[in-house]
Amino acid sequence: MPKTIILVDMDAFFASVEQQCNPSLRGRPIGVIGSDKRTVITAASYEAKALGIKTGMNKFEAKRLCPEIILVIGNNRKYTHTCSELAKIYARYTPDVEVYSIDEAFLDITDTQHLFGGAMEIGAQLKKEIKKTFGINASVGISHNKLLAKLASDISKPDGLRYISMEDAPSVLEDMPTDKLWGIGRGIGNRLKLMGITTCGQLGRMSETFLRSHFGIIGERLKEMGQGIGSFSVLKETAIAKSIGHSMTLPKDIINMRDIEAHILKLSEMVARRGRLYNLLGEVVSVVIRYKSFKTFTRQKKINTHTYDTHIIYDTAIGIIKVIRLAEPVRLLGVTLSGLREDSGQMSIFNECNKKDALIKSMDSINDKYGEFTVSWASYLDIRRHLGVISPAWRPSGLRRTDV
Amino acid sequence: MKIKISKNELLKSLSDIQGIIEKKTTMPILSHFLMDVKHVGCTLYATDLGTGIKKPVQMLEIIEEGAFCVSATRLYDIVREVQEDLTIEYVDQEWIKIMSGRANYRIAALNPDDYPLWPTIEDEKSIKISSPALLSMIEKTINCTGENDPRYALNGVLLHLQGDLKRITMVGTDGHRLSSVSKEIDLDFADEIKIIIPRKAAIELKKQLMEIDQELILNISKNHIKLNLGDREFLAKLIEGTYPNYDQVIPKNNDKLIYLDRENFMGIIRRVGVMSKEKSHAVRIDIQDGLLNIFANDPEIGEANDVMDIEYSGEPLSLGFNAKYILEALSIMTGKNVAFELKDTLSPTLLTEEVDKDYKCVLMPMRI
Repeated sequence: MPKTIILVDMDAFFASVEQQCNPSLRGRPIGVIGSDKRTVITAASYEAKALGIKTGMNKFEAKRLCPEIILVIGNNRKYTHTCSELAKIYARYTPDVEVYSIDEAFLDITDTQHLFGGAMEIGAQLKKEIKKTFGINASVGISHNKLLAKLASDISKPDGLRYISMEDAPSVLEDMPTDKLWGIGRGIGNRLKLMGITTCGQLGRMSETFLRSHFGIIGERLKEMGQGIGSFSVLKETAIAKSIGHSMTLPKDIINMRDIEAHILKLSEMVARRGRLYNLLGEVVSVVIRYKSFKTFTRQKKINTHTYDTHIIYDTAIGIIKVIRLAEPVRLLGVTLSGLREDSGQMSIFNECNKKDALIKSMDSINDKYGEFTVSWASYLDIRRHLGVISPAWRPSGLRRTDV
Repeated sequence: MKIKISKNELLKSLSDIQGIIEKKTTMPILSHFLMDVKHVGCTLYATDLGTGIKKPVQMLEIIEEGAFCVSATRLYDIVREVQEDLTIEYVDQEWIKIMSGRANYRIAALNPDDYPLWPTIEDEKSIKISSPALLSMIEKTINCTGENDPRYALNGVLLHLQGDLKRITMVGTDGHRLSSVSKEIDLDFADEIKIIIPRKAAIELKKQLMEIDQELILNISKNHIKLNLGDREFLAKLIEGTYPNYDQVIPKNNDKLIYLDRENFMGIIRRVGVMSKEKSHAVRIDIQDGLLNIFANDPEIGEANDVMDIEYSGEPLSLGFNAKYILEALSIMTGKNVAFELKDTLSPTLLTEEVDKDYKCVLMPMRI
């Protein structure tokens, strides 16, 4: 039986949440920024988008384009809370939910749709409930794989509901520009254009050998994508993740080592804590750095042990940064733990190791109950609570999979 | 430099040093060995800077004195293949020419002056120990030694000499298990000495000790140990650092004692261990009146269990273990029976031999 997959995508998520929290912002062009020192607009309301404001635009540019724009400083807690609450709505329709990013989720309703009157009915219900509970418009795409579900949602935005059936797929794809497809970015899109391939229809008709010779192993996949074949299934959290990572755009660009240390400590704690939550230990620590000039790079180091200890991850990450010698102020930092394996439960022969383990677990349980960072390391005291914008790939629960 | 040497003499010498020379190419010269050729005697040196061997080599004829430094594996491969004695000549400061029968080789060589110096050892203390005794101590502890552990001191075996108690103890631990073996020994000093011999050096020493049976003199300096093994001199650089207090780790008041037939215990763990998880090798051991049950399961593969009779009457107890750790400990032991001392689910357990009470293996359970 073919799968039935729904993609729910919040329209202008951060901006919509802000508009719901503050009624005076509703119906007006707003842009969300990371902090008062940040200049990049991370989300724009539909009213602002209509006036030409785009995500990623500089705030001065935005002001010039639309002087009446209201700039709002984002608040991550609001978004993550909303995201967790949304997941509860999804769970009413199917247990197979993959919260793909903070504002998108895939639902596999293959086996449950008959209980709710069919896929379109579920789509409509979801939209209605989200609107009623949060006042946010969602675009819902339905199809037989994730690729087409995502496309259906993208082309029906805003506030859309679209179903692409197997039979409709070829006609929908025929004149669809290739870069509308999930997974084809500007890079591959431009290369395809240079070869005269602009639509998915054309892409699907290209020979596999031709695409392979130009794009290597992903060439075959590209052809399938052009035909609307998506092999991705909805991921539940059962498979072992490949990595656990967090990154954040900082409230302002920094170069001072003290500031960097503080942020790395916080990121390391977030990563380590997620590892502990899922009983996963890692042996490779990577650091992502984005300079003021947007030059971005990653460096990694293998530690000769598997760990989810914040301090080992922190020490390794700082070791990496010290070797780099920063050339410019930093706007984004990220820490990732990979080379994961499950905690076998083997205890240490040395009491102090077991004690430290117990201490960390107790801290975790306090933070579970009273909120993140209720109990924390003293070296955190320096950091202000309000920190930057989270990456769109962040998820409030579960592990981030980077192999998608 | 020009020599004639018999195939067998060179082959034996080269095979002795294969374990020492560095296989990674971070410092190319460490994959080479040095041959010092003098009329009074020829000496072969091999080192990876951590472990070193120096041994005399008999030449058939010394045509010209000198030295050469060449890749140990490359020359070993050549010597294995040739059928006759070899003539070796160092030419143009960069090549070694080899002739054996009608076969000719020319292989790149490094400057012998660049070969690391053999360290001189000062302020040494020495102890007398028989080679089988030292070998047995290494064999019983080496398995538990850490490998690439960030706690650097754990990547070696501890040699603990207590002059006042006339005792020698060797310990290995990787943080999950610990083996310690003690012996009475005649020491002519009253101090306490603790040194850590790196894992690689201990493994190499074990190999060399297997070939001899003699009284040894072990010289200990601040940074090195040195032994004369037959005609060879063996040297190892010690790990600096503080070894954990091993005595504190060995449980003293585990109140539940079970005697087990070693072979039967190994059999049951092997049978059930087949179904344990690939990486953790976790098995659960349940002990109750007269019975020991053992279980393993991997949710994706399946499960297994087996039972053996034991003499035990007390409160039931369940513990998780890494099956591999138990098997390794049991396979090093030799006697018929072993004693398994337990306390509770999360406390360290102790495995000892009935015959050799000086050998103790501490196994930390897994949380189940």
